[in-house]
Amino acid sequence: MTQQREIIEELSQFIKKNQASEEEFNSLALHIFNYQYKHNLPYQTFCRQKGKTPRLVKNWRDIPYVPMSAFKEVPLTCSDPEAAVRVFMTSGTTQGKQGKHFHSTLEIRELSMIINFKERFMKETNRIRMGILFPTEEKMPHSSLAHYLALVMKEFGTEDSCYLLKENGVHIQKIISELEHAEKTGEPFALLGASFSFVHLFEELERLGKTFNLPKGSKILDTGGYKNKSKELDLNEFYQLLERYFGVDRSNCINMYGITELSTQFYDDGNEVVPSIKTGPSWIRTRVINPLTGEEVPEGERGVLVHYDLANFNSVMAVATEDVGMAVDEGFYLFGRVQGAEVRGCSLAVEEFIQLAKGTAK
Amino acid sequence: MRITAGYIPNIGETKFDKKILKFQDLEVELPLLTLEQMQRVIDTVKRESAEILKSLSVSTVVDIIGYVTEQFLDRSSSYRQQAEKLLPIVTGYDEEVIRLGLTSFLKTFRKHELQRFLVEDLGNPLLLDHFQPRAKGGFSKAIGPELITHVWAGNVPALPIWSFVSGLLVKAGNIGKVSSSEPLFAGWFAKALAETEPSLANCFAVVWWKGGDEKREKMIFEKSNLVIGYGNNETLKALKKQVPITTRFLPFGHKVSFGIISKSALDAHKAWRIAHQAALDVIRYDQQGCYSPHLFYVQKGGKVSPVEFARLIAGELENFEKRYPRRKLSMEESVALASWRQKEEMSTFTETGKEVLGTSTHQWTVVFEEEEKVFTASPLNRVIRVISFEKLEDILPYIKPYRSFLQTIGMAATPKELFHWAELLANVGVTRITALGKMTSPEAGWHHDGRFNLMDLIQMVDIESSAIVDSEQFAPYVD
Repeated sequence: MTQQREIIEELSQFIKKNQASEEEFNSLALHIFNYQYKHNLPYQTFCRQKGKTPRLVKNWRDIPYVPMSAFKEVPLTCSDPEAAVRVFMTSGTTQGKQGKHFHSTLEIRELSMIINFKERFMKETNRIRMGILFPTEEKMPHSSLAHYLALVMKEFGTEDSCYLLKENGVHIQKIISELEHAEKTGEPFALLGASFSFVHLFEELERLGKTFNLPKGSKILDTGGYKNKSKELDLNEFYQLLERYFGVDRSNCINMYGITELSTQFYDDGNEVVPSIKTGPSWIRTRVINPLTGEEVPEGERGVLVHYDLANFNSVMAVATEDVGMAVDEGFYLFGRVQGAEVRGCSLAVEEFIQLAKGTAK
Repeated sequence: MRITAGYIPNIGETKFDKKILKFQDLEVELPLLTLEQMQRVIDTVKRESAEILKSLSVSTVVDIIGYVTEQFLDRSSSYRQQAEKLLPIVTGYDEEVIRLGLTSFLKTFRKHELQRFLVEDLGNPLLLDHFQPRAKGGFSKAIGPELITHVWAGNVPALPIWSFVSGLLVKAGNIGKVSSSEPLFAGWFAKALAETEPSLANCFAVVWWKGGDEKREKMIFEKSNLVIGYGNNETLKALKKQVPITTRFLPFGHKVSFGIISKSALDAHKAWRIAHQAALDVIRYDQQGCYSPHLFYVQKGGKVSPVEFARLIAGELENFEKRYPRRKLSMEESVALASWRQKEEMSTFTETGKEVLGTSTHQWTVVFEEEEKVFTASPLNRVIRVISFEKLEDILPYIKPYRSFLQTIGMAATPKELFHWAELLANVGVTRITALGKMTSPEAGWHHDGRFNLMDLIQMVDIESSAIVDSEQFAPYVD
């Protein structure tokens, strides 16, 4: 059995068991760190520079984390990037460079998604009629979210589940007919998609003066924030509008938090109260750190989220985000992506400079 | 603790809405004027500055400003003590950094330096008082505007008084809007002026409103002869939109500055001193000024190599960190800095010769790059890039595209190189060349962004010689 196969087997067991003690998590984390140190050469160099090698690291918290931006700079993978079965890319950013997450297999990622999704979104339900407010996998082959939504539809959607977007936005007629069908038949319905698509949908429904009252058991899943693609609503308003337009209790409106650079997602238990607490399954852990020192911040203080996702076995398990959060007993509050640092003086800011450089390049 | 800030002249009422800005335990209370109150401030400042300020001789105005400046320089005065106590809280800079920065900055506004401002721009300062004979024939007088509105920005403490003092020197009515990140100093200065010379109490105002309040900005700008704006290009663009065609607009945008070190300055003895000076330019207000360095170009071929020089700067930054620690960064700034640094560290895997120097707590960072062919901005807060070069001509093409953003060069070079390089740099848009260690302290009367402090504010009134010749025939004593 190759080393990769060994890790995959071990991970599958771990994920299927879906409960782990600190020791069990630590032990597998160190095993995977060892594997990544050996096979992911840019990461190895990075760890060496930090003076942290498998020989010295005894606790998963000490495993060196890479910033999300590192995925833009070097191929962070334990296997030949050319042989990857799938490469997920981050959406374009101001710097125009996309982060790449190489997958030698989707086996673990999909297992992680399925088990977690069942537990956190489907719960006792096995299948539900779904409407997806996001493009298909064929349209966006490099989008990790498109892959996620396609997979959950395949695994947990009924046969009648469908996509509800068209070329230039939401397919409003189709959405209305789906929602009316649910109202008429009483069959629970699940709407899933990007947060900004819901905002577009609110605008359409407001224009048409339509609201719905979906049957009991219906659910909503939104993810990803607005990304400058729609009006920015505050969290409370967003969930109020979901409740108003679709008649789904805020406790059944779940927000998923995931990033391209990871293989596991976080969920909340509804959004009656915002911000909600996000939690993940037993194979992912999160620390909230001071980004400058790398030290964990005291409880109740804001810091940056660093995730240790064992399902990320082929790239780098420990990833530092640019998301601000706060640790609480059960999980963490997510306050969102840090906005560009405020300019304090009269010196040109890097962001401005980049804009300028782009301008002169044209 | 709560303190009041801003300065409102006597408009017949003293009750205003309040805006509270919070800085840790300190609350700063600023008056928030209604449009109608604002209108009365404008009328008052215009009227009183026309009647009183404009009737003073420029040397009297210099005396008054010089006296106020001395108060702020005197460490035993209450003005100074208040500034030393509160500015560290509001801006986050270390107390020592503030103390040194204030002194070095305020020295520029002492009486003899103010005289330099005047002579630098006008030649003959009496132009501001009376019609003065001109070499070409005829007479001229320099008239300050009725009203200058200043929109200040940023948290480099006390910076607003550059334009405030310039406005006073030309005897204009002045209304300044302070920024939320340093709302204090301009108001204190105004108050000290009024206390020093009570007759001037209604010739200026220091106010606050939320930037982008279009209705208010439009109203104020319409009544102003001149609007001076500070900020990034986006802010300036938004301001410009509100300025009517009959009001002049002087925008001061964000700038990039850097250092150039010749190989002739790099022997074992001199290199250390230069690195010390360069590091000083980096730590002063953590590079937030438009004159603060983003990077240092270091010439190859000296006794001390560019990479060794980078290490020298690193050593100096570490020393300074102990005495003058960096401002505590916000979460946003911390994230930006950490991710920038990590990205730089990652890139050392693929770029040979590149080095990232710093401590694990990221209090400062020096990045060294071998003849890197790009000109990039620093994320600031004690992050500096050192790039080696052979000939200055090699780096000019990378600097040139940023022409309208270039400002100061801190230079260490032989006199011959200094003038030769100055010629080349002037052609790509640089407007100020100074010694290392002096980048953040421009001389009195400097040409800010290549412009004039006073000349840009005034208008000249000419009496042509024909009028004088002609008038002779109407004199009662004409023969």
